[in-house]
Amino acid sequence: MIKLAGIKKSYDKHEVLKGIDLVVNKGEVVAILGPSGSGKTTLLRCINYLEKPGDGEISIGDFHFRCKRPHKKDVHSLRQKSAMVFQHYNLFKNKTALQNVMEGLVIAQKVPKEEAKRRSIALLEKVGLGAKLDAYPSQLSGGQQQRVGIARALALNPDVILFDEPTSALDPELVGEVLGVIRQIAKEGITMIIVTHEMSFAQEVANHVVFMDQGVIVEEGAPSELFNNPKEERTKQFLKRIRPEANV
Amino acid sequence: MVFDMEFALKSLPKIIAGIPMSLLISVFAILAGLVIGFLVTLCRMYKVPVLNRLAIIYVSFIRGTPLLVQIYVIYYALPMVADWAGMKLGLPISSADLPPLAFALTAFTIYSGAYLSETIRAALSAVDPGQMEAGYSVGLTTWQTFRRIVIPQAFVVALPSIGNNFLGLIKGTSLAFTVMVIEVMSNAKIAAADGYRYMESYVDAAIVYWLLCIVFERLFAWLEKRSGRYRSKSA
Repeated sequence: MIKLAGIKKSYDKHEVLKGIDLVVNKGEVVAILGPSGSGKTTLLRCINYLEKPGDGEISIGDFHFRCKRPHKKDVHSLRQKSAMVFQHYNLFKNKTALQNVMEGLVIAQKVPKEEAKRRSIALLEKVGLGAKLDAYPSQLSGGQQQRVGIARALALNPDVILFDEPTSALDPELVGEVLGVIRQIAKEGITMIIVTHEMSFAQEVANHVVFMDQGVIVEEGAPSELFNNPKEERTKQFLKRIRPEANV
Repeated sequence: MVFDMEFALKSLPKIIAGIPMSLLISVFAILAGLVIGFLVTLCRMYKVPVLNRLAIIYVSFIRGTPLLVQIYVIYYALPMVADWAGMKLGLPISSADLPPLAFALTAFTIYSGAYLSETIRAALSAVDPGQMEAGYSVGLTTWQTFRRIVIPQAFVVALPSIGNNFLGLIKGTSLAFTVMVIEVMSNAKIAAADGYRYMESYVDAAIVYWLLCIVFERLFAWLEKRSGRYRSKSA
């Protein structure tokens, strides 16, 4: 279980996260929606400390992390609990697809090289890139790079995988292949938090949807509830703006 | 006065014999300079108090003074430092033990460190910050990410400039004769004085430097191609 309590984050005087509380159960797929500037990506990045939260507490499993003046070692431990799939893939450019997936296993988790290789190959095959093991990121399409990114995250076997708008940098025709892979792993019971603009995808894959605006969680609930029967005015307006065809 | 081809050919081997020393100085200076340049860059990137200021002054001073002047300053300053270290710190060194090579290595390293720090700073900032984040996200430490991901990529960016620096150093070693180091230029001067044929010896020296630089130009071009393989579109 992942528990965020009172997460706050400010840039200078501007408060981006105003005390976020969120519980994500094991195996749950949570989609975070909201207009740009609502703080959803910042929240996601706080969970593995790519953004430093100013205050609050993050619990992943039985690991508790206080955000105020943390110890360097705790930051490292926190980061090892999660894995991130980035909007711009952020594959290691000087490493092949296979090396990208193996890196965290061999270097951070000290898995023996042979075993890491076997597991990494299996994962790359799973995301449909068994033929691209030795390709460098520059030789892969955006969709292929993002699938390597997903395999890299899966390899770490983390408590939670964080997806930061995983398809928003992709050409439209490549979105499908990436969503397909995410859909597939969602079915396997891996805990995931996804920040996304793909509404129909969120509705289909997520068990729980969170709507954020201006640094707070406005509303959260089951997808069918939140999409078809939103309670808050801000949620209604947001959904109307991005799905003018739907009646809410 | 005519060009004495025979003399030129005869003195060539003597001048060539200076190549190992020229190379020793330039290779040492580029490697040690890379380490210094990297440390200077870290001081500046992380804005380390005091060291950051010192780093700025160091780079500005070295880039703003002629190499020859620096060599002379080192020539007189280093013995003072050695004696001081010997007397005050009780280290077993004194100015009398300093071989000429010590002056050259010190001067050229200090010189190349300043220039390389600029190269390294530019190269490191050319690496996408997302690479560091990706390293953190798979559980690597800052240093592991630096060593395995960021530095190899920065190195590829820096290579052309490192190559330029290295060629500059090879040619710069011709000033080492001023502190009694016997390298290509010193040998050319000796050969010239022996036979009173200055032009022939200096033409020899020019050719030796030129060929040396061509070899290293090729080597760096090959290195660039090899280490930058991951950047190409085709497999």
